[in-house]
Amino acid sequence: MSTLSTTAPRLARPDAPPSPRGPRRRRLGIAAIVAYLVTFVLILPMAWVVLLSFQSNDNILRDPLNFSHLSWANYSTAMSTLNLMTMYKNTLILAVVSVSVGVVISFTAAYALTRMVFRRPGLQKSLRFYFLAGLAIPVYILLFPVYKLNIELGLYGTYAALILPYIATQLPFNVLLFTGFLADFPGEIEEAAIIDGAGLFTLSWRVVFPLMRPVIATLLILNIIYVWNEFPFAVTLINNPAMTTISLGVSQFQGFWTVDYGAMMASATLVLLPQLALYGIFQRYVVAGMTFGAVKG
Amino acid sequence: MKWLSTRRALALMIAPAFAVYSLYFAYPIGYSLYQSFTNAQAFGSTKLVGGKNYVQMVRDTLFWGSLRNTGIILLVSLVILLPGAFFLAHLLSGRVKGAGALRAMIFAPNVIAPILIGLIWVFILDPHIGLVNSLLHTLGVQHPPVWIGGTTLSPWSIGVVYTWQTVGFIMTIFYAGIRMLPHDVMEAASLDGATGWQRLRYVTVPMLQETFGITTVLVVTGVFKIFELVFQLTGGGPVHLSETLVSYTYWMTFSNQKYGYGMALAVVISLLGVVVTVAQMAFMRRRRAS
Repeated sequence: MSTLSTTAPRLARPDAPPSPRGPRRRRLGIAAIVAYLVTFVLILPMAWVVLLSFQSNDNILRDPLNFSHLSWANYSTAMSTLNLMTMYKNTLILAVVSVSVGVVISFTAAYALTRMVFRRPGLQKSLRFYFLAGLAIPVYILLFPVYKLNIELGLYGTYAALILPYIATQLPFNVLLFTGFLADFPGEIEEAAIIDGAGLFTLSWRVVFPLMRPVIATLLILNIIYVWNEFPFAVTLINNPAMTTISLGVSQFQGFWTVDYGAMMASATLVLLPQLALYGIFQRYVVAGMTFGAVKG
Repeated sequence: MKWLSTRRALALMIAPAFAVYSLYFAYPIGYSLYQSFTNAQAFGSTKLVGGKNYVQMVRDTLFWGSLRNTGIILLVSLVILLPGAFFLAHLLSGRVKGAGALRAMIFAPNVIAPILIGLIWVFILDPHIGLVNSLLHTLGVQHPPVWIGGTTLSPWSIGVVYTWQTVGFIMTIFYAGIRMLPHDVMEAASLDGATGWQRLRYVTVPMLQETFGITTVLVVTGVFKIFELVFQLTGGGPVHLSETLVSYTYWMTFSNQKYGYGMALAVVISLLGVVVTVAQMAFMRRRRAS
């Protein structure tokens, strides 16, 4: 730890102005070496799975560190026996429907709860509390009752059985983000639109909603990641193999491939790489959105 | 705004969200609460039994075992995850080439499905095919430890996996805190001849107290929600020795089909979650006030 004194920057910021003693020479300090090493160790688990997916199964069991015979064989096995396309299709359907509906209805609710005038302000306050209280509840308490509810409503075994809880569990966070953003939103734009004769529909959808683009982008991405990765509801509510989602599929890989570790790793890679690619593209939004609640004091 | 806010308009705006949320979030919580006071099971009639399930919990060794495992995971997280994340944030806020890319890479596990993280770590920790034991074998270790699936090490391993999953997230929060430190204080400290180490100890750490509070709360809430990692790495086995609170509740409800008792466990988990979240909000408020 005491090596930190060699980190050398006068100020712990990359954008710092040059210190009064003149600009410092950049050099690969111990700090940088440590940072690269730690990062290397941290990405190793993922890299290991990708690397080994090109090994033959015998090699994985006997001599996994020998990389002289790499091939795509595991991928053809995985692609031909595993229903990856079905899993991707199901996940996509669930994500598109629950996220689009969820974002729209959270926006209208948040708009009513922040911008519109209630005859009884107390009701507005308690409704806001009602929606935000959900933030404190872990979803696990919902699994069994939602399973029962779906059976009661005759939805068990349909997409709706998952879409509805997905919308419901994301609502508190979506409403929180929209209300927070609307609170900082200047009222003049709306006033001008009202003077121009805009009705509620035009006002909320044509005027305000388009101006919320940054929040909407963040919410879309976070909600999609949530549905994409969601496992507890999927494992509880899906009884039909044709409806398997990606997460549920991953949980069955070990049972499905049993001792064909090569094919198992190829399957895992086929799920891992698209997720990493998606993250790579939207990285800024993802990080900002995920840390929003914690950083925005 | 006022004349647009007719009752009908308000109802239209709020009704869809209110309906879905009430039916699929609020009502299920009430249902769970009610069920937790019954003896509901897969077979037989259901009747109210008062607080019997909650009393049973006190005598349930498996419940205490899952609580202990959750505690071990929490301990590992507080000892490795928090300091590690802070240390990384400190390193990567200095002048390291490509620091932004490194931060992005370290954050990556947070966006991968937790169930996939479980599978990835099976390939690392599995006693027979895992990378760790392959390496140990190569180094000539005859009987390397049973990291997962054995009777003792599983919760410790799950703590390490959880640390790996979350370190980028916690690091990002520390990083944001470090970036917000006032410039002039650091400047003054270095002009007064404080070494990097002294600056860290006497300036950075004390000024980040709030951030340490928030990250601690986030780690605690996160650990109480661990489910997929256990499901994938050990399935809670052998003989429930590696269950955590959530995985034990899941097993009790869906595999053992003791719904009433399962719901009582779920209520306890939720209460823990609520307590910690309320603490978190108190933190936030204090932070805003300062």
